[in-house]
Amino acid sequence: MSILEAKGVTKIFGGLTAVKEVDFRVEKGEIVGLIGPNGAGKTTFFNMISGFYRPNEGDVLFNGSSIVGLKPSRICKLGMTRTFQIVKPFPELTVLENVMMGSFNHHARSADSRAKAMEVMELLGLAERAGELAGNLPVAGRKRVEVAKALATEPEVMLLDEVMAGLTPAEMHQMIDTVRRIRDTGVTMVIVEHVMPVIMSLCDRIYVLHHGEKIADGTPEEIVSNKSVMEAYLGEDFMIEAEGNA
Amino acid sequence: MLGVYMQSIISGLLIGGVYALIAVGLTLIFGVMKIINFAHGEFLMFGMYFAFFLSTLFGIDPYISAILALPLFLMFGWGIQALLVRPVLGAPDMIQILLTVGISLVLQNLALFFFSADFQSLNLGYSGLTFEFGPARVSYSRLFACVVALSVAGGLYLFLKKTDVGKALRACAEEREGALAVGIDVEKMYKVAFGLGIACVAIAGILMTPFFYTAPTVGVPFTLTAFVVVVLGGLGNIPGALVGGLIVGLVESLGEIMLPVASLKSLGTFIIFILILLLRPQGLFGQKLS
Amino acid sequence: MDYLKNLRPLHFFYLAALLVLFTLPLYAESGFVTGLMPEGMDGSALLHVMLMIFFFGYLSQSWNISGGFAGQLSLGHAAFFGLGAYTSSLLYVNFGISPWVGMLAGMAVAGTFGLLIGLVSFHYGLKGPFFALVTIAFAEILRLIIQHLAFTGGPMGILIPLMGDSWWEFQFLAKEPYYYIALFMMLISIAVVWVIANSRWGFYFRAIREDEDAAEAIGIDITRYKLLSVTLSAAMTGAAGTFYAQYTQYIVPDDLIIVAFSIEIVLRAIIGGAGTVMGPIVGSFIMTPLGEATRIIFEGGGAGISLVSLLQQEIPAGEKFSQYLDYLAAGGGGGLAIMLYGAVLIVVCIGMPRGVVPWLRRRFGRYA
Repeated sequence: MSILEAKGVTKIFGGLTAVKEVDFRVEKGEIVGLIGPNGAGKTTFFNMISGFYRPNEGDVLFNGSSIVGLKPSRICKLGMTRTFQIVKPFPELTVLENVMMGSFNHHARSADSRAKAMEVMELLGLAERAGELAGNLPVAGRKRVEVAKALATEPEVMLLDEVMAGLTPAEMHQMIDTVRRIRDTGVTMVIVEHVMPVIMSLCDRIYVLHHGEKIADGTPEEIVSNKSVMEAYLGEDFMIEAEGNA
Repeated sequence: MLGVYMQSIISGLLIGGVYALIAVGLTLIFGVMKIINFAHGEFLMFGMYFAFFLSTLFGIDPYISAILALPLFLMFGWGIQALLVRPVLGAPDMIQILLTVGISLVLQNLALFFFSADFQSLNLGYSGLTFEFGPARVSYSRLFACVVALSVAGGLYLFLKKTDVGKALRACAEEREGALAVGIDVEKMYKVAFGLGIACVAIAGILMTPFFYTAPTVGVPFTLTAFVVVVLGGLGNIPGALVGGLIVGLVESLGEIMLPVASLKSLGTFIIFILILLLRPQGLFGQKLS
Repeated sequence: MDYLKNLRPLHFFYLAALLVLFTLPLYAESGFVTGLMPEGMDGSALLHVMLMIFFFGYLSQSWNISGGFAGQLSLGHAAFFGLGAYTSSLLYVNFGISPWVGMLAGMAVAGTFGLLIGLVSFHYGLKGPFFALVTIAFAEILRLIIQHLAFTGGPMGILIPLMGDSWWEFQFLAKEPYYYIALFMMLISIAVVWVIANSRWGFYFRAIREDEDAAEAIGIDITRYKLLSVTLSAAMTGAAGTFYAQYTQYIVPDDLIIVAFSIEIVLRAIIGGAGTVMGPIVGSFIMTPLGEATRIIFEGGGAGISLVSLLQQEIPAGEKFSQYLDYLAAGGGGGLAIMLYGAVLIVVCIGMPRGVVPWLRRRFGRYA
């Protein structure tokens, strides 16, 4: 049984079909990537598997049970947490307090929650900034707080929404490292990303969306040589030219 | 029996016209600036005192005062927006609401201090004149108030539709970023909107002076009624406020004769209010908020 | 938040303040203290003002739980207050039940009403100004109903007869017992909020206030915690209603269950700092004496004046004007205290929206 599965998931807004009958499967321990050009429906799909949107058709299964219609907070309690593309730390609270918000998920007492939060912060290199206000941190720091907050909820599956956006190459390297370390603790991850090198180096498998439909899925090597993927990203004209020259 | 109902329906529609104008002002302010003006009724109250003093001191008829009020209250509203409202436009909802609450407290108590809590009324020659309309008796001053109020509201609607300033206001209401991008002076539009909204409610108050008393707290129930009308008609929706005003006026008036105790008439209004907020918060004419 | 790491000065200040407050009734009548106060105030009046400070501190602190921490703006808290007052008073006057028991009953009734409002509002996703409007509507409906029911005394309210001078009756001839009860209630409310602030509830409330989506994503059941905050806040507010009923011995719907009173509660919390532990208390210590002092200095005013007859008098304009000025100097129609409240509220909203406590913390955090 896959830890996370989407079957024929569809989302229609008014007359517009944003996501069309997408199948998706994640096995425990994997890092799965979700890519596609802008407007491909990645965020909509993401919102559906995390419970923020309700699919018009299809089903989303977490550990074999359907989670469609459940509130995001319930889904988090079941073991799946997400981060937001436009990071939403609680700006007037300290880094520690932010992460504690997450650790309270499984630890009702303040002392336990604090201990767990410190643990997570150590893993993510945030320990020294525990007392700083989250709103005062630079982008990279806030992203890390966002991830820490989510990780503190002790999820089985973590959904990372464009966690690399806005980071410098050096910061990206650090984040890639962080993601690997998180996976090593046993967390399965699904990441939505625009930055190709990141996807290629991190993911075990990749799904590609275009115009709301799944056009490819496979290992990074398979995706990189996939014609429809290249077409989607580069446009048909370029493809024809490339073929002519080959 | 028919006579009683007819009387009630007519009175309800007449006061409804005034409610419509009050609500139009409130909904304009909300539509353009997304601020719920809890001090709205206080400007009505100041309009009434304005007319009262012009009449008592200089013998100026309220209907003339209404015309004078337009530029004066426009400037008053402009000033208040520039000085007090603008600084909180980016602040959390709660702070914006409480700012207007603060303005309401200050205005109410300024009136209380200077004019006392005593009810003041204008007794003009024509205040009590009525005519017969079938089985019902209609007061001229209430009829005029309704007609003028609806005309002013209608005038505002045309202003928004046809003039450049009006279109700029609508642009700000619909899409602030877009309006900025095409060079509209959004800051100025906010002042205009607030000024116009205030002028509307002040004029509505002035129109009532021939038949309604003036006191520092007279505005409070009208603010609440205006909220009900605005939510009923859809926030930011001017035709909605017009229709909503008439409906609320009607409901209140019929409530007076149908409920066991007349003073419970506002109960009906509040219950409608809660029902609308729960079942159809976008109002009768509003778009569904995503 | 990390109180354990804070320095001593603030704790010494609290200790000293508590000492003064606990012993004040002993020397309130003394010449030294009376000399310090504005004209027209004596020891008894001082105790009354302090009592009012504690009373409003308690009320604002109760509001703070749902309004400050969870960020749900309620402008109808007067309804919970009124329910508490009416419940205990009706039980006392009709059945002789001790107001202390009545207070608990009142808290239950008020809490239930709060739960109801919450269930209805949050289930339908009402937020921000819409929620505020609903609370106003509910309070108005309650007031109208109470005003028209015979068994609640109608518009005339309930007069609590003087039945004794004892703790069981919650009635005293002297002010001192009321003073201490109010003080204890305020201290208890501080304790409750302090515990909440440092617990999961407090964290979750603040998450809801800051960003509901982010809160949902990390497992916080928004509706459940909003309901908790409103119910608790309402119940605590109800207890203050009982205190008020027993202190003033007369409750009238038009004085109690009105928006103006709800605003007074909210105002102190906002000015002091909504969402902080000491904010509402600081707010009450600042605003309540200001209001009381204004009332006393300007003799309250409140006299009526018929402007029409003044204007139509057959005397020269200059004399009319000086008569009017005399009227104003005597306090005019009243309302200066509330005007001041409104002005401070405006200034705080514009210049110090987080309130006095966060501002103090930024300036003097070193001493905390």
